[in-house]
Amino acid sequence: MKLEKRMQDPRQPSVTVDRTVMSESDSPAAVFQSRANKLATLLATGEEHARLWRPDELAAIFRHQMSAPMLVDLGGFDSRTATKLRTLSEAQGLLLKSFGDLFHHPSPLIELLELVKNFAKANLDHPESGLPGEIAAALYYTSIAAALIRLDARISQLPDADLRHGLQWTLEQAWLDEKTKELLAQALGKISGVQKGAMS
Amino acid sequence: MVSEPTKSSIFPRTDWAELGRATEADAPCLDRLIRLYWQPLKIFLMATFPGLKQQADTLLQEFAEDKLLQDGWLRKADQNRGRFRDFLKTSLRNFVLDRLNRAEAKNPPISLEELEQEPPPPAAPSEAFDLAWAQAVLAETLRRMEADCKKPGEDQPRRSYIWEMFRIRLLEPIFNDTVPPAYDQLIERFGLKSPTDASNTLLSAKRIFKAHLSRVIKEYAGQDAAAATEIQALEDFLIRLAKRG
Repeated sequence: MKLEKRMQDPRQPSVTVDRTVMSESDSPAAVFQSRANKLATLLATGEEHARLWRPDELAAIFRHQMSAPMLVDLGGFDSRTATKLRTLSEAQGLLLKSFGDLFHHPSPLIELLELVKNFAKANLDHPESGLPGEIAAALYYTSIAAALIRLDARISQLPDADLRHGLQWTLEQAWLDEKTKELLAQALGKISGVQKGAMS
Repeated sequence: MVSEPTKSSIFPRTDWAELGRATEADAPCLDRLIRLYWQPLKIFLMATFPGLKQQADTLLQEFAEDKLLQDGWLRKADQNRGRFRDFLKTSLRNFVLDRLNRAEAKNPPISLEELEQEPPPPAAPSEAFDLAWAQAVLAETLRRMEADCKKPGEDQPRRSYIWEMFRIRLLEPIFNDTVPPAYDQLIERFGLKSPTDASNTLLSAKRIFKAHLSRVIKEYAGQDAAAATEIQALEDFLIRLAKRG
């Protein structure tokens, strides 16, 4: 049975591939059948700096992030923040459940965008964060972009040049969805206008 | 009595404190010590003396009875003089050479000429032994990690998911040379709510693996610093061996 089929049916007890059969509990036996290169890879598995996810998985991860309930991620800050988040997201019947809901709402609450920005920054700054840096950076710049475009508000103290650079980088990521790209492009245009003195 | 253990249970759990207890003729301790070291020692013996494969079990039995089980013999193992496993290897090699010399002197059924190759000098590394050692350490690590994650009543209700995710995302691709299941498949299978949730589950798995690996190694290598050195030594050895194919 191939792995793909096994994934579809969790009740199946074992995975059989071309060369090796590995049941759910025979990993020690598999170790004894393995050569040095595999054992070296296994030994290195405990190294936390190794990438958790492949670059080709970023699109799926970003998609998942955008549809994820904000309360799951942001509620982890502390109980006060969680309560505040719940209150804010349910306020005025906005029902902002996911990150995508927030970014693409015509008038999102600025406090929520700031919470998302802080969450993304915390992940970017944390050496042991499992969230891919690219995804955290995208959340960070998208929250800033949403505040700029939807609320005409600046929630970041980054210098324009740095902000423009970050927005540009995010916009260029192939795994980004079109709606988010559009938002980032608008923000980039607005920032460029700011630099030319178009906005006070 | 000495008996050959199953593959999954062989691993050198002896730390120097336990070794100290063993030298005081603690029979259960000695028995466990011998059982745990049996497979790596057998592999070393057969690799060093290919002509003696058929007699490997007998020779190991005699080595255990004449050396390991003798009161005071294990006191010769000095932590400061090198690794315990090197001490065991050298002792076993000398023991077998002594047996061969005696047999040759008495009558010639077993002689050095019958051996397929000259035994290596005492300092020569035994890759087969070290490979068996690494396998034993890693197998025990995985065995403990799986038991730990599947232990009922653990605080984390989704702890069993951690083992499953570790197994299908990391172990199976390593052992079976397959592509790891995609992110989408994982979130569907485990009901992961966000990328942070997914990443934390996988990170937890890696941390649990690392913690058990350190614990297994500390049991024979000593404290944190020595365990870290031993992990690095095992990794360097495996990478070196892998590069040579």
